[in-house]
Amino acid sequence: MRALLRAELLKQRSTRTGLGLFAAMLGLVLLAVLLHSFGLPAEDLGGTNLQLMVLGRGEFIGVLFAALLGAMSITAEIRHGTIRSTLLVTPRRGRIVAAKVSVSILIGTGFGLVAGAVATAAGAAALRARGIDVQLDRGDYVLLVVGSAAAAGLWAAIGMGVGALVRNQVPTLIGICAWLLFVEGLLAGDVAGGFGDVGRLLPGAAAAAISGQDPGTLLAPAVGLLLLASYAAVTALAGALATSRRDVG
Amino acid sequence: MTLDDQVRPMISADAGTPDPVVAVNSLTKRYGELAAVNDLNFSLHSGTVTGFLGPNGAGKTTTLRLLLGLAEPTAGQALVFGRRYRELDDPARRVGAVLESSDFHPGRSGRDHLRALALAAEIPTSRVEDVLALVEIEGVADRRVKTYSLGMRQRLGLAAALLGDPELLVLDEPANGLDPAGVHWLRRFLRGFAQQGRTVLVSSHMLAEAAQTVDQVVIIDRGRRVASGLLDELTERGKTLEDVFLGLTGGAS
Repeated sequence: MRALLRAELLKQRSTRTGLGLFAAMLGLVLLAVLLHSFGLPAEDLGGTNLQLMVLGRGEFIGVLFAALLGAMSITAEIRHGTIRSTLLVTPRRGRIVAAKVSVSILIGTGFGLVAGAVATAAGAAALRARGIDVQLDRGDYVLLVVGSAAAAGLWAAIGMGVGALVRNQVPTLIGICAWLLFVEGLLAGDVAGGFGDVGRLLPGAAAAAISGQDPGTLLAPAVGLLLLASYAAVTALAGALATSRRDVG
Repeated sequence: MTLDDQVRPMISADAGTPDPVVAVNSLTKRYGELAAVNDLNFSLHSGTVTGFLGPNGAGKTTTLRLLLGLAEPTAGQALVFGRRYRELDDPARRVGAVLESSDFHPGRSGRDHLRALALAAEIPTSRVEDVLALVEIEGVADRRVKTYSLGMRQRLGLAAALLGDPELLVLDEPANGLDPAGVHWLRRFLRGFAQQGRTVLVSSHMLAEAAQTVDQVVIIDRGRRVASGLLDELTERGKTLEDVFLGLTGGAS
């Protein structure tokens, strides 16, 4: 298994995909945090919840890019055909999926950690620059950064599982973006809202909960972590099963 | 008596001979109503170069994918060294294969492509340099594959197949895109490989090229074997491989 992990890490390092995703993520994190910090009315930004939301843009964007990276770890192999040589060398497909999930979690966690730290630092600095008192305590900061890392790591595993299920790269990536950016928000706000607070059980909301956002509405961070870990386990397992059973064209 | 009946004993496993390197037994693969491979049988022994011939859509590539564990047969089995490919302990050291000439990430260098495979197969990285030299692409090994010509990609694919120093080489249309010098090089390489007692299965629809490279053929059409045997016997009486092929596959006018 060590050998497979090293092989997967080399695959990630040896193209510019990971670096490109990382750079795009950093740019978007800064853009989102600074737009919110400087754009929202100062009187609104005084409240803890909105401050958590602004500094929590790191979690949101980190999760998105970690999921894309995890998905691409398998869809890029399918798209370019390298999956064939990969499977010829390692015909036991469950091991390939396990290695890809592990490496996705590792890199996704790194993405989330950086996104969380940059958003928190930039957001806090921007708020102070506007003369707004930052209401957050040390526990909030730790959750924003560590929670972002954990959420992104687990979402990278979800992305890998979805990629293994869908296989085609473009629909996979569009599906992940659509879910995180639109679908979940619509479901939670408009549809599931009618059924009480079911929306907080969705995977994107669980990720936000881990970084301590919206504590009145969302789950407690530890519960969110458990729930998101379950989503990740189920998705990765489904991806492994599908990969083992299907023919490779 | 058909041609097939005459020559079958030359290529099938006889009692008393060692286990075949490749054994395809009643192999069938259906996609819905279509049988891409239909009750196919053949076996190959070591030290041979076998041409796997047939028109486009005959089921050559499907057969190779079944043999290599990438797809599961609907019925029958395809064995390498007496086992299903997925059950081989160290497949890269026993079987090398090139299925598509374009199976590379365009943004990864040839050397990194090989290194990732070597890591996964637990083959020493020094072997990467050996195979790069063997296929004569050391000079471009650090360039990204998107800058490679088709001939360079064919050689890189072959380098990947040779990483584990395998006993069996399976190649799907390896001469596509090679220039005359490349084809000549490949032919000499495959002959040398077989002379070491190893085995080559090479699919092709380029008959003139195949006739110069292989010593026996399996010809399939619409998923079924229509002929097999030693090239010399199939092409006796002044017939070319093309005559035999077109006669068998209904391509003759």
